[in-house]
Amino acid sequence: MPEKPPRSIKILSSLPLNLLLNGILIVPFIIMIYLAFLKWSPLMSINWWEAPFIGVANFQRALSDSRFIEALERTALFVVIVVPLELFLGLLLAYIMQNPFRGKRFIISLLIYPLMLPPVVVATVFYLFFQPYGPVNNIFLQYIIGPRALDIHWFLNPNLAFTTIVIADVWQWTPFMFLIMYSGLSAVPKRLVEAAEVLGASEWTIFWRIRLPLIRPLISIAVILRSLEAFKVFDYVYVMTGGGPGTSTESISLYIYRLAILYSDISYAAAVSLIVLAIIIVASYFAIKILVGRR
Amino acid sequence: MLSEEKVSSEKSKKFDPARRQVIIALGSAIVALGVGYAIGYLTKPVEKVTTTITKTITQTVTQTVTAAPPSLTTTPAPTLEYPELSDVARRAVLGVKKLIASGVVPKGATLRILHVAGSKDQLEKAIELWSKYVPEINVELVTMGTEPDVYTKAMSEAVTKTGAYDIITIFSTWLGDMVEAGLAKDLTEYFNKYDPGYTGPCAPIEPLGSYVTLYKGRRYALDIDSDVFTLTYRKDLLNDPKYKEEFKAMYGYDLKVPDTWEEVINIAEFFTNLKLTSPRGGKVWGAYFYVEPAFAAYITWTNIFLEAGGIPFDLETMDPKIDSPEGRYAFNILLKLKPYMPPEAISAAWADLYDKYIHGESVLTAAWPSLTKMAISSPDSVVKEVTGTALMPGVKLEIGGNPTIIRASPNPVNWVGIVSNYSKYPEVGYLFLQFMSAPDIGLEVVLSGVILDLFRMCWFTDPKYKAKAVTGYGEDFVDHYLDAIKISYPDFIIRGGPEYASKLTTAVNAVVAGTMDPETALSTVAADWDSITKRYGRDSQLEAWKALAQLFPEPIKSAWKAKGYVK
Repeated sequence: MPEKPPRSIKILSSLPLNLLLNGILIVPFIIMIYLAFLKWSPLMSINWWEAPFIGVANFQRALSDSRFIEALERTALFVVIVVPLELFLGLLLAYIMQNPFRGKRFIISLLIYPLMLPPVVVATVFYLFFQPYGPVNNIFLQYIIGPRALDIHWFLNPNLAFTTIVIADVWQWTPFMFLIMYSGLSAVPKRLVEAAEVLGASEWTIFWRIRLPLIRPLISIAVILRSLEAFKVFDYVYVMTGGGPGTSTESISLYIYRLAILYSDISYAAAVSLIVLAIIIVASYFAIKILVGRR
Repeated sequence: MLSEEKVSSEKSKKFDPARRQVIIALGSAIVALGVGYAIGYLTKPVEKVTTTITKTITQTVTQTVTAAPPSLTTTPAPTLEYPELSDVARRAVLGVKKLIASGVVPKGATLRILHVAGSKDQLEKAIELWSKYVPEINVELVTMGTEPDVYTKAMSEAVTKTGAYDIITIFSTWLGDMVEAGLAKDLTEYFNKYDPGYTGPCAPIEPLGSYVTLYKGRRYALDIDSDVFTLTYRKDLLNDPKYKEEFKAMYGYDLKVPDTWEEVINIAEFFTNLKLTSPRGGKVWGAYFYVEPAFAAYITWTNIFLEAGGIPFDLETMDPKIDSPEGRYAFNILLKLKPYMPPEAISAAWADLYDKYIHGESVLTAAWPSLTKMAISSPDSVVKEVTGTALMPGVKLEIGGNPTIIRASPNPVNWVGIVSNYSKYPEVGYLFLQFMSAPDIGLEVVLSGVILDLFRMCWFTDPKYKAKAVTGYGEDFVDHYLDAIKISYPDFIIRGGPEYASKLTTAVNAVVAGTMDPETALSTVAADWDSITKRYGRDSQLEAWKALAQLFPEPIKSAWKAKGYVK
């Protein structure tokens, strides 16, 4: 049996990669934390390391920034709406797909197709769909409510505009939930289902008492992953509503983008990002504890 | 065998400590090197800046003494070389040749221009013409998809100081940001040395020529464009005898091109209520002015606000002055206009205005000069023969006891060229910009695409140039555009300009969409503006605002006086 290499060799051989990864990940993160305590913008004619230290002033500013708080609440609401919707639809589709039927593979391929599109493309398509003379009004709604449908301006009303973003997100990300649920349901041991059938359990009881508990860990992972992603929603908002009317559909990512890129308010953007990061960490911790911890 | 293995194992045991030591020493050396490199790398930018500054100063001194070309006296006299070129373009070409001959720039050097995709055709034209005269210097385009991408790249360059771009074409609105971030080079010396033709009959039209190139009294940019808004209207509808009669019966005065915003409301109401249909089946709206959320809503609001005598900031304290009767008046006009504008005005991107107008779905509108270009040249346009151009509507004020209509025209965007402080060949970069904006070359560049528009006086007055300009814009537009430029006013060309404008745009859009009331909007924007001012330093912002305010057109200044904002 070959001798194990000494520890120093292991450390040395992984050193370049460690340096590179830490350089890429940790150093900018540390700089971001440092920036959050400075008063700095590229427009201040000084380098960031020369900027004055202002303690927690940026964090205090965030707490009294109504636009930030509204964007945060709005984004949380978005997550709370889209994730359960996607989970429900994904689970439903996965359940339906458990039964064998002709063309199943083709339909599964079709279902997964939205995942392959860049969100910005999906956003552009939905933006066009929801124009007053777009297909949603002109074909779908006109069929249901008649010519009045053409007077619906989806992007003028804050609630309707928000709804369009939800629809676009659900359309694109339900397949993600579907994939995970489908693989989970497919892995449920057949003998358990058959045993339950023999004992006379109904389809609903089998689903509720056997299939669902068995895929519960997968559901937890899917919900957590999707929630983290949904919290970062940017493309749909940027392309479809631009955060408008006013700032009524502005997400937290769009707001941070505007602070950092459009307003060059880098220090404040760093502070806001850290607050959001802290909220996500805390929320994820409790989510994991509640969803996964129960096992 | 066994004994051999034993020997070998003993050997390895014997040599192990030494080998470990060597490895540890080597490892330490690598770590030390890595740390040293990291420290060196972190401190590098500072050293680099120092070097650059030193070099620049050295070059400047040398050139001033040896070539002795201060001011106009040193301007290379027109020679027989390149007689087909204008003096401005010739000076640029000869200037580069001289720099090559003296070794300041090597043959085969490359200039890189960062610009937005929309101006590609026009910059390619400029490069094509440049290559004809200066084949020794290559020019490469680095194209960005949208305008915000250019801003982002430029600000990144300001922070990282890589020297990746020699020239950057920017919104004039960003000039304050680019100067304060240290990216835009002070071009005053080059202006004096090479004379880009900013005086005389072919100069860029004032006040535009000054306010888009000056920042705190120094030249930081060369003008390559103008973006002054004009009122664009349907001549056929406004001149229709039947409509004229009906309009007079309804409103008590003649249907005509509106002089004031109040008249705009009446005309917009009149035509909207006629329920006309466009050739493609859409509704014809009386008006379409920008109130969209992305960036343009501030344009319309600010136009009415300034014409009503409003002043954005106090000239003594830099306090925001938009939460004022003039601010409320501007909102009042927009809210009255809202029912007569397409709902998409609130939600769609800026290009929707173009689409609706050229398809005959709005009667009165206002936009950049490219709207007229498109209306008269787009194959889709149904208003080619019936598009009229006029000055922007105004606001009636009492000035010196006399009722006077104050008119002013926004000049949002207005592309200008800046030279990077980190460019290897800043002088050549400047000369390229001088070449491409010269009277003869500049007009060819303007006429070769959509984004860059007319900005030199002689293009409107000198028959040899005017005839060419008319081919691109139509006679009606060329005649009125000169007057529009004369009453044009700048964007917020101070540090944080894009942020001031963006906060206002968001609020204007929210008010028109009905999600915020005007009072709240005005107080919110005033508070936001004040915090921006505080962030960048009140004194510095005030200095920039005072310098900019001097460059506003006379009608606005007289309104400020009448309202008591200026002594």
